[in-house]
Amino acid sequence: MPGLPLRPRVGVVKLTSCDGCQLTILDLEEELLSIVEAFDIVDFPEATSSRSSGPYDILFVEGSVSAPDQVERLAELRARSTLLVAIGACATAGGIQALRNWGEVGDWAATVYPDPSLLQVLDRVTPISDHVKVDVEVRGCPISPDQLRELLAALLAGRRPQLPDEAVCLECKRRGLTCVVVAAGATCLGPVTRSGCGAICPSFGRGCYGCFGPREQPNVASLVSRFELDGLAPDEARRRFAGINAWAEPYRDAIPRGGGARPELAAAGVPGETEAADARR
Amino acid sequence: MDVSGTIGAFHGSPFVAGLAPSERRRLAALAVRRTAEPGDVLLHEDAPTTHLGIVVDGRVALRLQVPGRGSITVLTVEPGDVFGWSALVPPYRSTSTVVAVERTEAIVFDAVALRAALDEDDGLAASLYPRVLRSVARRLEATRMQLLDVFGREVDAAW
Amino acid sequence: MVTAAPPSFLPRAGLDRLIALLRDDGRRVIGPTVVDGAVAYEEIASTADLPLGWSDEQSPGRYRLVESPGPGRERAFGYTVGPASWKRYTFPPRVDIGRGRDADGTVTYEPVAPEPDALAFLGVRGCELAALRIQDRVLRDGPVADPDYVARRRAALVIAVECTVAASTCFCTSMGTGPEIARESADLVLTELDDGYLLRSGTDDGRRLEARLDPRPATDDEVAHARASVADVRRRIGDPVAVQGLPGRLQARLDHPRWAEIAERCLGCANCTLVCPTCFCTSVTQRSDLDSRDSVAVRGWDSCFSGDFAKVAGGSFRWRRQDRYRQWLTHKFSTWVDQFGAFGCVGCGRCVTWCPVGIDVREELAVIAPPAARRPLPMAAAAAPGDFTPARVERTWPETPDTTTLLLTDVDPAIAHGAPGQFVMVTRPGLPAVPISVSRYHPEGDAIELSIRAAGPATATLSSLAPGTPLGVRGPLGRGWPLEAAEGRDVIVVSGGIGLSPLRPAIDALLEDRPRYGTVRLYHGARTPNDRPHKDDLATWAARPDVEAGETVDRAGTGWTGPVGVVTHLFDAGRWDARDAVAFVCGPERMMQATVSTLEDRGLRPERIHVSMERHMECGIGLCGHCQLGRFFVCRDGPVFSRAELGDAFILEGV
Repeated sequence: MPGLPLRPRVGVVKLTSCDGCQLTILDLEEELLSIVEAFDIVDFPEATSSRSSGPYDILFVEGSVSAPDQVERLAELRARSTLLVAIGACATAGGIQALRNWGEVGDWAATVYPDPSLLQVLDRVTPISDHVKVDVEVRGCPISPDQLRELLAALLAGRRPQLPDEAVCLECKRRGLTCVVVAAGATCLGPVTRSGCGAICPSFGRGCYGCFGPREQPNVASLVSRFELDGLAPDEARRRFAGINAWAEPYRDAIPRGGGARPELAAAGVPGETEAADARR
Repeated sequence: MDVSGTIGAFHGSPFVAGLAPSERRRLAALAVRRTAEPGDVLLHEDAPTTHLGIVVDGRVALRLQVPGRGSITVLTVEPGDVFGWSALVPPYRSTSTVVAVERTEAIVFDAVALRAALDEDDGLAASLYPRVLRSVARRLEATRMQLLDVFGREVDAAW
Repeated sequence: MVTAAPPSFLPRAGLDRLIALLRDDGRRVIGPTVVDGAVAYEEIASTADLPLGWSDEQSPGRYRLVESPGPGRERAFGYTVGPASWKRYTFPPRVDIGRGRDADGTVTYEPVAPEPDALAFLGVRGCELAALRIQDRVLRDGPVADPDYVARRRAALVIAVECTVAASTCFCTSMGTGPEIARESADLVLTELDDGYLLRSGTDDGRRLEARLDPRPATDDEVAHARASVADVRRRIGDPVAVQGLPGRLQARLDHPRWAEIAERCLGCANCTLVCPTCFCTSVTQRSDLDSRDSVAVRGWDSCFSGDFAKVAGGSFRWRRQDRYRQWLTHKFSTWVDQFGAFGCVGCGRCVTWCPVGIDVREELAVIAPPAARRPLPMAAAAAPGDFTPARVERTWPETPDTTTLLLTDVDPAIAHGAPGQFVMVTRPGLPAVPISVSRYHPEGDAIELSIRAAGPATATLSSLAPGTPLGVRGPLGRGWPLEAAEGRDVIVVSGGIGLSPLRPAIDALLEDRPRYGTVRLYHGARTPNDRPHKDDLATWAARPDVEAGETVDRAGTGWTGPVGVVTHLFDAGRWDARDAVAFVCGPERMMQATVSTLEDRGLRPERIHVSMERHMECGIGLCGHCQLGRFFVCRDGPVFSRAELGDAFILEGV
């Protein structure tokens, strides 16, 4: 971490996203006063009307890069920031909107908008790390208030934030939850997904949806085999990865052609094809 | 078995497993579903091999005509395995008579169309021929096992 | 030495009084209770909270609660251990260990003083007592003790329960931790019977508690019954891990190719370490506030499977999954012994059940660090080579043109209770002793069936014995089919010709205990339809809805409409998933080689394929040297072997 001034100038900006992660900052109700005291918040559209163009000591960026103007804007923001923090699945992996990467953007636009010619979008939705250097990633959809608090505290204390790159399973077992894969045959992405959510879904008897994206050394292939042993068809097992973090490697490679769509919904196609390579040609 | 079951069986068959999607599509376009009742003859020994088939359900027998002994079943083909490999090997004549011994569901490929597709698509040919070869090799290996007569009486027993 | 008091008996209703007494003493009682489809350890108020009538099915990667068989037998402890372990209470997943403060120019640190509640653990099993002892060694008895652990451990009263059921994943017997519990190892030890509990107290606290319950002395019958049910658990589990010399064997295999193969399956998810009752690895994290210089050090469970665990500036020392799995397994079964004087594993089987992809340490140890030779079996009736017990031919019938089955009665009970796949030596005065596999056991009638192929003069003489003829039998000999390895898995039984006979008792056992196994597939190949042995059985099995059966012949006559071809062709193109199955194979050696190679092509692992080998056997007990096969004596170490342990001996000619 570079050295920061005593009261760092902080900006919060968004690209393509739902604002949910920004709102998580506001969810830190008890700490809000301390945050405002400790940080000089100069730009935060969800919270203040003030607008700044930097420079920033710390810039939080929410959202994916989906439109051409965002590429330029992001480069400018990076140039004016000491520390750039990507927050949320959209910024770190492309988010749910990256599912359109498995189809032709023109086809999607034509079904959604009356006049798609007004639309200025990129062919591919990408995380911001595809375009600029990112110093810290805070994962999740939405991000965890605890991890955000830890990041802020760590920035003030001058230490590496403790955002563990471990499997959801560790949080799950520390909570004393019963493994839903073993005890219920659930399709749970926990073993290949990074912790941070507190194992919310397993605590309700559901399999993990992978909101925090891949952890280090994820063994996606072995987990898919396990789902198949539980009776899931190969494509069905692979489609589980077509969610919030679909575009993150190696989830991306596991996803069948057609992305999250089921074959009966996909246009012409022969059932049983799983080559993700086709999706990226 | 319904149509989707047949398509599923086609894709699940070891014969097409691992083929590229485009190759599978190419094959699927040539595939025809065929149902045979017990006794139906699918190929005649020494006659041109009209089809290469994959058994999906049921069983077919490969029979040879032996003078004085009638029609002898030398092998049966079980679901997942192929018959009519001679559709791809000159002189394209069937080496046995293929008869359904149960109600049988098969996917068959017209021999001429299949050969034409393989002629014009080197990629498909490069993928498919090793599979046919493997099927034939496996059958050769099995035939050797049968020849060995592994269950036969040993010449010299210990006790 | 003080003689221990004889066991007492507490009627079923007394268990509630026990819980009430403990609560009156100000203890929170932690016991088994059903939460989220599994047995967990939580605070309980009465026996109503216990898993009454619940049992469980466990296999690698799978756990299901099931209602105990038998109505009206609502046992409180009729389950085997679930995912929870007592370390949650003695060594919590997160605990504050110290506070730091920077105020008025001074930095101060203070440890967090533990103030644990008084607890009583109810239902601690033998393996779990051993786990507590292991954590005692690590966290309490070393040069520096962990104060939090010491305080929590001291605050807990331990009431143990002996196991009267076993899961397929249990291996306490190998690790020497159960199922029997010595009274000294807990405050109070319970053994559950149908109508109550046998009590034994091991400490002064336990004796006082026992006295307050006012139990009556146990009858000899009750004591014997309790012993028998625990002994049955020991028998069921067997001895799946060869621990003799294991630490050294593992250290010698740090470069085994298997580590990389395991990593193909291993998710690196850390579940094994978190459900392990002895794993003690932790990380300390700092929690600091935004508005002050105060911080709290929090110690939380971590795992050697986590990416950050072995990280230094520049990266992790164990960056691959195979490094991490090796670290874990060698620590449990090798380096732990160097560090703490005992294995770090108690054989509870949690890491096997709760691995989402079902990696089984017992299997991995057998592959990576196999014992030099199998341990000899205890000998049954008539052990010495010259000794035979009498039996009588009751009846004979032909199986095939060259094979006859003899029903022998008045057989020594040890022989009639033999295991599937074992064999006997049979003789008559004047005849050599001939090894014959038992083709069916009738334990209730002290009878066995032997199916004998008249391959030579002696076997021809035996085949033609008249009913009533007495003969001599030694056995049961050798090691049979590892049915326990098949529990919870699909089973593929492949036989060729008369090779069906040694498999028939295994098939009997599979079908008798059908729910213990997954899909059962039986494939038989014969030379001709006429050469099929045990035809009635083949028909009966094929008709069962819970069996997938297939038969083939090399040469079909007229009237045979079934498959024709070698036996492998019944399953080499099948679409079912074979990867998690166990296979039993018996037949002529070439047929077994072809079968094994087909099964391996289908994804079966070599340690799950078992074959019955034939060699010249004379003594049957590994003393005469005839039947040596590689590093094994077939009679003593086999005749059933896994493909993995046979190695090249399975395929090399002339071994």
